[in-house]
Amino acid sequence: MGCLDIQNLTFEYSTGREPSLRDVSLTIGKGEYVVLCGPSGSGKTTLLRHLKTMLTPYGKRSGAVYLDGTPLERMTQKDQAAKIGFVMQNPEDQIVTDKVWHELAFGLECLGVDPKAMRLRVAEMASYFGIQSWFQRDVASLSGGQKQLLNLASIMAMQPQILILDEPTSQLDPIAASDFMNTVKKINLELGTTILITEHRLEDIYHRADRVVVMDQGRILANDTPRKVGQLLWRQDHPMFAALPAPLRAYYQAGERGEGPITVREGRDWLTGTFENRPVTIPEPARGEKTFPEKDPALKAKGLWFRYEKDGPDVLQDLSVTVPRGSLFAIVGGNGEGKSTTLKAFCGVCKPYRGKIEIFGRPLREYKADRLYKNCVAMLPQDPKSLFVKSTVLEDLREMCREPEKIEAVARTCNIVPLLDANPQDLSGGEQQRAALAKVLLTEPKLLLLDEPTKGLDSMFKKQLADILRALQARDVTIVMVSHDVEFCAEYADLVSMFFGGQILTTDTPRRFFGQNSFYTTAASRMSRCIFRNAVTAEDVAELYLANLEGRS
Amino acid sequence: MKRSVCINLFTWLILIPLTLFLGTRLTGRWYYLTSTLVIIEAMLPFFFSFETRKPQARELVTIAVLCALAVASRVVVLIPNFKPTTAIIMLSGIALGPEAGFVTGAVTAFASNFFFSQGPWTPWQMMGYGFGGFFAGVIFAKRRAWRNPAGLALFGFFTILLVVGPLLDCCTLFTTGSRLSWSYAAAVFIAGFPYNLQHALACGATMLVFGKPLLAKLDRLIVKYGMMDARKEG
Amino acid sequence: MRSDAFSKYHPLTNFVFFLGAIGFAVVIQHPAYIGASCVGGALYLLLLKGRKCRNMLLGMLPLVVLMAAWNPLFNTYGEHVLFTVFGRPYTLEALCYGMAIAGIFAAMMLWFSCYSAVLTSDKFICLFGKLIPALSLLIVMVLRMIPNLVRRGKQILDARKSIGKGVGENNSLKQKLHGGMQVLSALTDWALEGSIVTADSMRARGYGTARPTSFRLYHMTLQDWALLAWMVLLAALVIAAGGTGAEYTPQIDIPRPGWGFIAYCLYLMIPSLLHGKEAVQWAVSISRI
Repeated sequence: MGCLDIQNLTFEYSTGREPSLRDVSLTIGKGEYVVLCGPSGSGKTTLLRHLKTMLTPYGKRSGAVYLDGTPLERMTQKDQAAKIGFVMQNPEDQIVTDKVWHELAFGLECLGVDPKAMRLRVAEMASYFGIQSWFQRDVASLSGGQKQLLNLASIMAMQPQILILDEPTSQLDPIAASDFMNTVKKINLELGTTILITEHRLEDIYHRADRVVVMDQGRILANDTPRKVGQLLWRQDHPMFAALPAPLRAYYQAGERGEGPITVREGRDWLTGTFENRPVTIPEPARGEKTFPEKDPALKAKGLWFRYEKDGPDVLQDLSVTVPRGSLFAIVGGNGEGKSTTLKAFCGVCKPYRGKIEIFGRPLREYKADRLYKNCVAMLPQDPKSLFVKSTVLEDLREMCREPEKIEAVARTCNIVPLLDANPQDLSGGEQQRAALAKVLLTEPKLLLLDEPTKGLDSMFKKQLADILRALQARDVTIVMVSHDVEFCAEYADLVSMFFGGQILTTDTPRRFFGQNSFYTTAASRMSRCIFRNAVTAEDVAELYLANLEGRS
Repeated sequence: MKRSVCINLFTWLILIPLTLFLGTRLTGRWYYLTSTLVIIEAMLPFFFSFETRKPQARELVTIAVLCALAVASRVVVLIPNFKPTTAIIMLSGIALGPEAGFVTGAVTAFASNFFFSQGPWTPWQMMGYGFGGFFAGVIFAKRRAWRNPAGLALFGFFTILLVVGPLLDCCTLFTTGSRLSWSYAAAVFIAGFPYNLQHALACGATMLVFGKPLLAKLDRLIVKYGMMDARKEG
Repeated sequence: MRSDAFSKYHPLTNFVFFLGAIGFAVVIQHPAYIGASCVGGALYLLLLKGRKCRNMLLGMLPLVVLMAAWNPLFNTYGEHVLFTVFGRPYTLEALCYGMAIAGIFAAMMLWFSCYSAVLTSDKFICLFGKLIPALSLLIVMVLRMIPNLVRRGKQILDARKSIGKGVGENNSLKQKLHGGMQVLSALTDWALEGSIVTADSMRARGYGTARPTSFRLYHMTLQDWALLAWMVLLAALVIAAGGTGAEYTPQIDIPRPGWGFIAYCLYLMIPSLLHGKEAVQWAVSISRI
């Protein structure tokens, strides 16, 4: 008997809104680590919310969910609260209290655990998660990664049997995300807690999972080991294939048919195995990369210095960069204050105290505000919600521009025509991102600044975003993007820069940039570097693989 | 319900008269201590009924958000001395009922003083803001038809100018005066008038522009997440 | 904040002390007592905050002087008329009374500042969490949300600026008001949407399913009880000794301070003495290394 048993669960929202669940049956054994994935709107979150009755949405439902053989409806709320831990997507809004210690104790307080036992459990959890050093701090002073870790710890303090995580790392940067996933795996291995997790960045968790469940349109499409699921998705040519780890994608795209490699190491073994006795005749991707004229750049910054407070540290330190006209220019780099500030400096929101910025050959300070943000520069902030001030998307767009033709054109470009009458708050993350982009585009910018545009987006939304960016580039819009998402930059950017210590270190084409880096690079590059040069995407690897095999035979 | 009536009767008929009686027995400046005690006692029934009601999570969070917004609004609206705080408290009372309005106001005053400083004014501010929320709830909570921007704005303006502002001035009167006299009281109220007028204008303007939209947002939330149903069940 | 010995005591001990210090400050009109209270409060505030409180102390000075000078305008009792203002006598006695009132006001402000620095929100919750669980949870939630909302508000302002919808210095009042309201509206949407998640998170962790208990970060130790007893004893002495009343108008009548005054001074010096003691002990233990 499994720990969690879902039997023929069918659900329909009372508002008639998709996604709903159709005849879902799933059994999860004790101590299993199960990854649930699927495109946005496939019903993942709806399913997870059925595993805890107090979170279940209103609607029509049939079927049942059992925990250790007891139907959920027959368990008391208190039992459910303690036995089923639920970590949600947004690290910030889940936190209830203002101090770290109080947050850790909150669940236990609610359950009425006696103060002595509570002290011990809280102390235990704080040490296990390495929270002792910030135990007394204000929650507001924590980073996003620390906040999510705190959420996890405060759930674990209640000692749940099963831990459900709904896209827990989508709002975190890659390093914090990977730390978080390590902790989850540690909980699974050391405490034997059953894990059910949804995530659209599968790179970090795919190889850790015992089982992968794929959902599509409210049904379970696949339920098997990670390798088998990879194979199945390839065979079905399913859109979720694009979300799989790079080694798997390269493997199948190169025409292999067996059970593929799911980690970088396995991917490298596959490549070295194949080319052990074969010479590599074509070591580098052939596809040419775009070149850009050096003359009149879209943006030129020289020696920028900036700090937020008079006595604070310098966030920008002698930052210089030149962005060629018409390029998609990506700035990558570690987490920390600086990259977003750079963009803010480029659009005049932050004023550097030293240095010069020229936009289209004219110094930034010579622009009047109404000229600068009309037909010239605009920025899409990291959180698209910061741009919505009205109750429908259309009204929000009208705030920028009164001409219906223009609005329609932009809405079509950004693929949001069906969403125009919706409330921006009701949209999904990817839809919000596109609606906000539409709003920004109505200023008709020649230089578009994007701050972490792929944060929290699944692979399909990323593809849509990339298509929009390509379309804009074709209209001679220069795009500067700040991102953690190396895979996205490797695939779509024209030039990539490394940001470190308040300045921009190097700028190069993605192939050479990621080809040279050994840590800060894509999985495809790490796995193929011993055989190929500068192959930075799964497509690159697959192409070279095929080309070299054909070259021999 | 019965118990809260008892508490109300006890406070108003026994506790407060007793405090006043004992207060006048003190020599010297009895009036600051006595008036502050009366103010605190007058808030007790509200707090008591809020506690015994055991508010649901969603209601508690909504009140918390409105309190936090009321404090943060001072930072967001970048006009010096322009505080939409009281308007937000009143709107909370209108959307969630008089009692929740009172709690919103009192907690806003108390919590914001953790960021500035607690002082002799804390209980007075709690009472003043709390009353604003309560009164707005009494007038508008059950009368949807009255909720037009002009009505809200006039209500906000006059409540601040005539009730909340003078109540806060009373604190100044009691803490700084050497002797209670009509002339001193008049001086304090006159000195406070420009400030109260500014405050009242800010409140009225916020109500005028922001009143309807915020109420619509809260209504949407209440419908979307069945908050009122949850309250009825609890 | 600096390390402070008194702040490390249990919130109850802290609270009772401030209740006494502020309570006495409000009621007692005797000039010596007022002076002692001002000195005690100022000293402890300086020990707590160091030079940071200089601005506050300097800013308070003109206010206090003004208050002393302004009070006789409304209080015409007294025998020694200094001069007349608007046909009303301005008396020496009333001026003295005004000074006393200003002193009381200053003492109150000083002790409240110390109170704010010592009794942080978590100490307050520790004290009252049991008595008013729902309200204290509400306060804690508000305190958590405020920094978030302020940060988000700034984000929204920046975001709007970068698409040319910023509110600047040179906009008219109407534009500023409109812009401010737009931001407030966006912030509200954001906050209300987030509140759903917070409520879910609370319910998922069992809020409302059982009679809640509370986590205690602080415990009453023997030291706390001892200090508390000492404080109560001193306070009782102050009350028992009496002689705290003073009349200013129409005639100045100030009793000679007795041993009650010594008890009062000792009471007010408690936090400063503890602070000093810790500093000395620390210096000694360092010098031994």
